[in-house]
Amino acid sequence: MELTLFVIIGAVAVISAAMMLISENAIYSTLFLILNFACIAFFFLMLNAPFLAMVQITVYAGAIMVLFLFVIMLLGAEQVIPSTETRFNWLASAVVGLALVFLVAVSAAIIDGKIEITEPQKIEPHVRVVNAMDGIPALDVYLDGTAIARDVEFHDNTRFKAWNEGRYTLALFAAGDDPQSDTPLVEQQVELNRGEALTFTAVGRLVNPGPGLVVVTEQVDYNEEKDTLRLIAVNGLPERALVDVLDESDSGNRKVLVDGLEYGKSAETEIGQGTYTLGLYSDGDKDNRVSVLKDAEFDANTTVLVVFTEQQQPDNSFRDLVINVENKSAPSFGGPTHVGRLLFSRYVLPFEMVGLLLLVAMIGAIVLTHETLAPRRRMPRRFANPAVGYEPPADKPGA
Amino acid sequence: MKTPEVAIELYILLSAILFIMGVMGVLLRRNAILVFMSVELMLNASNLALVAFSRQWANGDGHLIVFFVITVAAAEVAVGLALIVAIFRTKKSIDIDALHLFKD
Repeated sequence: MELTLFVIIGAVAVISAAMMLISENAIYSTLFLILNFACIAFFFLMLNAPFLAMVQITVYAGAIMVLFLFVIMLLGAEQVIPSTETRFNWLASAVVGLALVFLVAVSAAIIDGKIEITEPQKIEPHVRVVNAMDGIPALDVYLDGTAIARDVEFHDNTRFKAWNEGRYTLALFAAGDDPQSDTPLVEQQVELNRGEALTFTAVGRLVNPGPGLVVVTEQVDYNEEKDTLRLIAVNGLPERALVDVLDESDSGNRKVLVDGLEYGKSAETEIGQGTYTLGLYSDGDKDNRVSVLKDAEFDANTTVLVVFTEQQQPDNSFRDLVINVENKSAPSFGGPTHVGRLLFSRYVLPFEMVGLLLLVAMIGAIVLTHETLAPRRRMPRRFANPAVGYEPPADKPGA
Repeated sequence: MKTPEVAIELYILLSAILFIMGVMGVLLRRNAILVFMSVELMLNASNLALVAFSRQWANGDGHLIVFFVITVAAAEVAVGLALIVAIFRTKKSIDIDALHLFKD
């Protein structure tokens, strides 16, 4: 299916490029080039680059080609009148021949597999932090001494951040502690692999049984489109050894989603999209509900993290609480969010330089086209000297 | 991860074909605007290759470079078309064979 589409659109792209080259009328050439750009935008879509496809259509096919059309119409230069003699004809044929030879060589090399291309790579690992441990004002999280999140308050979570793969020591500190000298609340070895998104969830109580850490790893596959979603449940209730998670959307027909989830562990299940009411029960006890997440809307193709935890009350008792981490799964590859994040992190300087370049180009266009070479007007200055006084032009009625 | 149905070689091949068509346009056409449009075609062919490689390596940098190429192309078009307009004013033609400044 995809291959058929590729062949058809590719044929349209090549034919439109050829028609652009051989059209005598420049207007037709421009229109064929726009068709070619539309085909390339389609390829961008097929290559998981929806943002670039959009930019291609709006900027290229929209702005740039309209500028071309405008200049062609302005100059009336649809057709170039051929000059009297045709020089360099041997050059033209030589160029075509060389180009064809090169094309055959390149395609032979590519099809023959001489270009070393290994398996497609997976996306770099992403990490985020969820604080589900009450008792300290906020949390700092470090990987090998580098902060990935600071001041994460209870019930909060950070966005996914790209990180280099490798083995790290993950350390949780109370906000403001010095990672060099202070002892961490929790320390754990974690491994970051490509194609994974890791969620570090802090759970438990500060004392008895002490803070805990749940590392949830989800596989990120930007090529996969599904109509279901992944639900990850985390048990952060130190006093509940084993819990069940039930789908109570239909009160008459409760379904067990997760069975026997230990404290400090996570479980993953796949459900369809829709509105859910999730209930938490002690294992085996289907009558006394511990806590509930009411009417949560889950979209397809996302990952939903539900953390069952507890909040410390003023009288030092604990109230059960559910943290439903929003459907921010790792940013989809090539989407506007992904491109935007890259643009404003690693590529800020090039972006500014390109902006400067555009400014220079604008000034250049103005300098090139404004008429300094044309003779100055010899008309007397009417409004230059206010001391002379202003005489309205006689040919304007009513003035 | 499932392997994409269309192999990257095909994208690179298509990109090479389009690029060479652009080269031919630059070298063979007389109309200066057509030459310019052929340059745009070459830029697009290289963009296609960049995005294909970007998917292959799951690396967003290729996308950013394509973004910058599009921006630079816009700047280039602005200056280039201004040049063509300026040349047309003096020469009354945009035939690049007529642009032998030192000949006449």
